[in-house]
Amino acid sequence: MLFSNKPRMNEFEAAALPHLNDIYRTAARLLGDKARADDVLQDVYLQAWKSFDKFEPGTNCRAWLFKILFHTINHYRRKWLNIRMVKESEEILQTAAAADPPVPEQITDEDLLAALDQVPQDFRSVVLLVDVEEFSYKEASAILSVPIGTVMSRLSRGRKLLRERLAGMAQQYGILPNPDEGRSA
Amino acid sequence: MNRLQFGEGACEKTRRYMDAYLSNELLVETTHDVLRHLESCPACTAELEARTRLRSRLKAAVEAQTAPPHLHALVREKLRNNQPARWRFYAVAAVAMLIVTAVWLRPGPTPLPDIADRAAQATYIQKVSATVAQVFKPGLGDHIHCALFRIYPQAPPDIREMENKLGEEYKGLLPLVSPAVPEGYRLVMAHQCTYAGRHFIHLTLRKGTDVISLVITRKNPDESFRTLSPSADASGVPVYQASAANFQVAGFESEHYLAYIVSDLKSAANLEIATALAPTVHQLLS
Repeated sequence: MLFSNKPRMNEFEAAALPHLNDIYRTAARLLGDKARADDVLQDVYLQAWKSFDKFEPGTNCRAWLFKILFHTINHYRRKWLNIRMVKESEEILQTAAAADPPVPEQITDEDLLAALDQVPQDFRSVVLLVDVEEFSYKEASAILSVPIGTVMSRLSRGRKLLRERLAGMAQQYGILPNPDEGRSA
Repeated sequence: MNRLQFGEGACEKTRRYMDAYLSNELLVETTHDVLRHLESCPACTAELEARTRLRSRLKAAVEAQTAPPHLHALVREKLRNNQPARWRFYAVAAVAMLIVTAVWLRPGPTPLPDIADRAAQATYIQKVSATVAQVFKPGLGDHIHCALFRIYPQAPPDIREMENKLGEEYKGLLPLVSPAVPEGYRLVMAHQCTYAGRHFIHLTLRKGTDVISLVITRKNPDESFRTLSPSADASGVPVYQASAANFQVAGFESEHYLAYIVSDLKSAANLEIATALAPTVHQLLS
């Protein structure tokens, strides 16, 4: 075949496909919908393949794929949702620093993931990148195209929101006492 | 003592640094300060352990979710069905380059062989004549053989000499040709010649390097233009036309002769000359 790009395709697949699971689970956790995660994942790999000539060999292919993932998700967010997501994040920012509840030990993985899904996406993104995918602040900053300070504050508040959601679940299950119970007005 | 590293409010400071500590993003000095505080603060140690456990559990829970097996194959298939723009661009550029190269290398008009190389001349005539109907070949061949592979004298022979060479039977052609050709052409040769075992009456007009020939030969049995479609009618004389390489051939016939106008003019101009000459030449040959 004239100008066969098979060697280039093989190179791309060798570099990018090992990260498919990482990309998929992050997409699924951010979108909360496996069908949409499927679509986004395919888009990410197509975008990556089309711009593979811009990828510098030896640099972090995984971080590069995650950057494309977040770019694609933002595109889908604008398509599926609306800009209210940002406002929601800002509102929560004001209340996120208020409490520091204990983490319930009896909580299940399903509860954990459900609690994570309740964390607004801007914070959830950073928690997933740093705590799950173990990117450095600098890498997360580059992936999300935000300053490192924003990564730090979002991570801190994201973790705190997660702990709050888990504490709320634990109270519902009767694992933790309601801090308001027994208080007199 | 250790708790005093952060001074007053050490627990608050430690917990503020706890997120960066968990992420291993603290400076070495600050990490040491946090560790020193933790050594002597059970509450902060418990808090750190709880956050570390939560982080580990969260990571394990998220990582437990894997992509459906079909997705790997689907992605591979999509990748192979989608060529990146860069490769498409190169493919288009390559095709364009091939076309340009093909046009550039396309055989142009076959150059004339050396005037002394008879074998090459014969090959050249054969090659140029290959695409025309058989009836056109004698006139075209003699034009190339006799009018092109020739060094013309500085001064053409005078009219009397041409008349002598043509003979009584054909000298009447001389006054006919000049009025029929475009302005600037000059009669430079008129004679009887032989090519490929065939006898010809041949008149040649030149303008610079451009050459027009009137070539006449006796018909062989069953030799005629009439099997072809005429391109023009010159007062009842059908005129036929053919192209060969960069030559134009127009022909007509009388009862016993075939007559040709051969030139490197455009086909319409060549046909016009033949159409202008056909009635008078036809009459003369009859």
